[in-house]
Amino acid sequence: MEGKIFVITSGKGGVGKTTATSSIGAALAMAGKRVAVVDMDIGLRNLDVVMGLENRIVFNIVDVVQGKCKLSQAAIKDRRINNLFLIPASQSDNKDVFKSEDMVRLGKRLKEEFDIVLMDCPAGIERGFENAVAAADEALVICTPEVSSVRDADRIIGLLYARSITPKLILNRINPAMTANGDMLNHEDVTDVLSIELIGLVEADDNVIVASNLGKPLVMINDSKAGQAFIRIAMRLDGHEDIPIQVPKSGSTFWRNIGSKLGFK
Amino acid sequence: MMNYTTNKTMPVKLKGVGDGLRITIDPTQSLDLLKEDIGKIFKNLGHLAINAKIVIDPGENGTHKELISTLGKYLKNTFDVGSVSGLSPKRSAPEERIRQHDINHSWEHYRSDVLMLAGRIRSGQKVSTKRHLVIMGDVNPGAEIFAGGDILIMGSLRGAAFAGQPDKEDAIVFALDFRPSLIQIGGFVGTGAGPSKLKIAEFAHVEKDIIVVEDYLKTNPFGKMPWPDKR
Ligand SMILES: Nc1ncnc2c1ncn2[C@@H]1O[C@H](COP(=O)(O)OP(=O)(O)OP(=O)(O)O)[C@@H](O)[C@H]1O
Ligand SMILES: [Mg+2]
Repeated sequence: MEGKIFVITSGKGGVGKTTATSSIGAALAMAGKRVAVVDMDIGLRNLDVVMGLENRIVFNIVDVVQGKCKLSQAAIKDRRINNLFLIPASQSDNKDVFKSEDMVRLGKRLKEEFDIVLMDCPAGIERGFENAVAAADEALVICTPEVSSVRDADRIIGLLYARSITPKLILNRINPAMTANGDMLNHEDVTDVLSIELIGLVEADDNVIVASNLGKPLVMINDSKAGQAFIRIAMRLDGHEDIPIQVPKSGSTFWRNIGSKLGFK
Repeated sequence: MMNYTTNKTMPVKLKGVGDGLRITIDPTQSLDLLKEDIGKIFKNLGHLAINAKIVIDPGENGTHKELISTLGKYLKNTFDVGSVSGLSPKRSAPEERIRQHDINHSWEHYRSDVLMLAGRIRSGQKVSTKRHLVIMGDVNPGAEIFAGGDILIMGSLRGAAFAGQPDKEDAIVFALDFRPSLIQIGGFVGTGAGPSKLKIAEFAHVEKDIIVVEDYLKTNPFGKMPWPDKR
């Protein structure tokens, strides 16, 4: 069976695309899928660092597209997780080294090799976004509970619809205490405006920074709330749509279960 | 308060009758002023004026044949109307019936120019029309909507709305949930803390050169019109 390409995008920078890509990729690979995570942030690569693979890079995605190496030569196998491969970005080129057609061609080959391909999209709506989206079958939009992030996510959603892609939403860096006090948008405020299917709510969690500094997969830190949330997102993407979406709550270890139909309004 | 039916200082009034349009003029006004006012009205009518049957009513005193024929030529040349005639001094029985018909069925002869859309307008998207604009759905923050006439949002309005563009100052902006980031009506702009945070149907209109936002059901702006009229 042919694989599927997901693009992970946000419009606004620094909201957690790279974190989501590495975590969801790791969780899916741990569930037995053959997964490639592709760093599309040409010129500003950091998926390799987050995954602790920066010292293993020889070839990168630009080399593959330009025919300087084989796909298998550029795909770096993860140190800890079987079936997880990173295709790094080039650090020296800029975002217009290749065109959408190049990506569509590369996408076809990736889908022959892997069950699931996750593309870590750069911030912005320019060339880099176009390229990352060109080959995608589905899209995950990452948004934080901030007005500016919602505005940019909304723009991206419009652009994705224009390309016949129906995106799903991940709300990242939720601070339950602030949400409870009304100091932060809650997930309903966000889904009210964005009005796409919600597939996960991820709490702000210091383990994200710890994991990224150690180059250790977040999803392997058992008591990481964010890691667990990404695992549930991965399961939902893997066909377990019945796994309920849980709302991060402050001051207790209990979750409030909102059911799965609430996300789509 | 706004006066929706007629304006006493206006030398020209327009009304739909039976199968055509009737304009009431004040024959004591200068020809230039009449032409100017008729011109304004017909410009707004757009394609509705083309081939329309026009009746010019100069009021009670005299028939003003010459004035009517001058205005008739002007209307035909400038707006492609079909025929222009004066009002016969005594109304015949059929015409009396047409007038009755007018009040009860005038809308059958009207065709409002409306762009009606369903869905959500997202950030960065722009909807623009020379007509009235009806959106069944929401207008998100960062979206922009432009209309030559009124804007009616059957949902929440959180983006920027420009009604009555470029210079129709009697246009309104209505939303079931009125929270725009900016409103412009004709040349008047309003921003900021105008709309309340309540989820009630509100509308914006221009009153004494400023944009006023009011509770739509309480104000009931069109409920006071004596009969339904074209927008
Ligand atoms: N749930 C979270 N809790 C705490 N910190 C987080 C969380 N998600 C992301 N971060 C932190 O936010 C920063 C930005 O995250 P990340 O690099 O994943 O974002 P990005 O969208 O890929 O950014 P860019 O647009 O620059 O590529 C990082 O320092 C990361 O550790
Ligand atoms: Mg990134």
